[in-house]
Amino acid sequence: MPSKNVRTAGGVMAMLGVVGVLVLHWMVFFWTPTEANQGIIQRIFYIHMPSAVVAFLAFGIVAICSALYLWLGDDHLDQAAVAAAEGGIVFTTIVLLTGPLWGRIAWGTYWTWEPRLTLTLLLWFIYLGYFLVRASTENPDRGKRFAAVVGIVGALDIPLIHLSVRWFRSLHPGPVVIKPEGPTLAPQMMTTIMVGLVSLLLLFAGIFLIRYTIEVAKQTLDVRDQQARV
Amino acid sequence: MTYLGQVYAIVWKDLLLELRTRERIAAMGAFAVLAGVLFNYSIDATIVRPQDIAAGLIWMTLVFGGLLGIGRTFYLEAQDGAFQGILTSPAPKDAIFLGKTAANFVLLYVVALLVVAVFTLFFGLHLGTSPALLALVLALGALGFVALGTLFSAVSSGTHMGETLLPILVFPLLVPMVIYGVSATSRLLVGRPVAEVAGNLRMLAAFAVLAVFAGAGLFRYVVEE
Repeated sequence: MPSKNVRTAGGVMAMLGVVGVLVLHWMVFFWTPTEANQGIIQRIFYIHMPSAVVAFLAFGIVAICSALYLWLGDDHLDQAAVAAAEGGIVFTTIVLLTGPLWGRIAWGTYWTWEPRLTLTLLLWFIYLGYFLVRASTENPDRGKRFAAVVGIVGALDIPLIHLSVRWFRSLHPGPVVIKPEGPTLAPQMMTTIMVGLVSLLLLFAGIFLIRYTIEVAKQTLDVRDQQARV
Repeated sequence: MTYLGQVYAIVWKDLLLELRTRERIAAMGAFAVLAGVLFNYSIDATIVRPQDIAAGLIWMTLVFGGLLGIGRTFYLEAQDGAFQGILTSPAPKDAIFLGKTAANFVLLYVVALLVVAVFTLFFGLHLGTSPALLALVLALGALGFVALGTLFSAVSSGTHMGETLLPILVFPLLVPMVIYGVSATSRLLVGRPVAEVAGNLRMLAAFAVLAVFAGAGLFRYVVEE
């Protein structure tokens, strides 16, 4: 049964991801050197940046699967889109929690209209809309199409939002942004970032596959339930 | 019937309906004027001059008031089942979308001009040296707004959350329009040179084109059964 293989693969990837995240935490707290300018707070970046990469990657998957779903009408594409969206909103939430914590120390404020921060907040709300249209539609097929439309329009608009919030920022100079990357990167820092990226990507891929098989099972049950009632 | 003829038929039908009921335009117009009154009392003129924030107030009134009317684009037809008739007509779905969007654009643009006129009166604004350009900024912004609003109004009216869902879906997407629209409007209101808003106009146009094409392409997936 292919879906069982998918679930096993997902389970293995998620476990590897969890181990990776534990290793990452050890590296962040005990192994990697403290960044000279920002001090200890910079260490949150090893969680923050990979989460942001995953959050936007997940939305890319949502948009592509949504477009293909509308085109081909295959339910598996919609199931993949939901799975990616649920993983995506979790990682977007992590970005939105770790960003302000870092900003409080580095910029002196929890919230600032920094373009990437703003874009992430708006991404979170686009994800929210995606789930709300699904949840508030009686006809499940309609809900899937509505959600796909939200995903596609969101993905088309994100480049424009990005351009506009950056342009707005250039009008209103705020606190000095210290580039988290820093000019020169110690090799240990680079390794920690790579470990972070690989573990969070694995974790996301694992959750994505498991969630996908759950959604497949759920929709199959829903269809049977409906048929039984007729 | 040609494609444009089909679009025109929808526009004409919607505008005629509005002309006879005057429901949406009355709601949006009253909202705009009353929002102006409330804004007047929400600004302490000894701290900030209303003229300084007028552009932002104009656009926010337009967005909130506009959503009030656009959210009901499909309401009347859904009530008496007339929209089924439109969908079964041979008109392609994108022609229906373009017609609905064009009719909404006419309504919203009337409201936009009303907002500017009323706020000019209330807050003693000067329309700057190029009112025609100001009218163009409003037109481009309004076009992108109604295209997204019409698409998502069709989405939200198909859910049991209805119009309450509309702001959640549309507001995050409107950020580019608000940023470029407000900035262009405030610059024109204080009489900055036209060259300073050329970039904003291009971005507003890009936003409008994107919204119209995305809406026309995706509308059929929203309305099909």
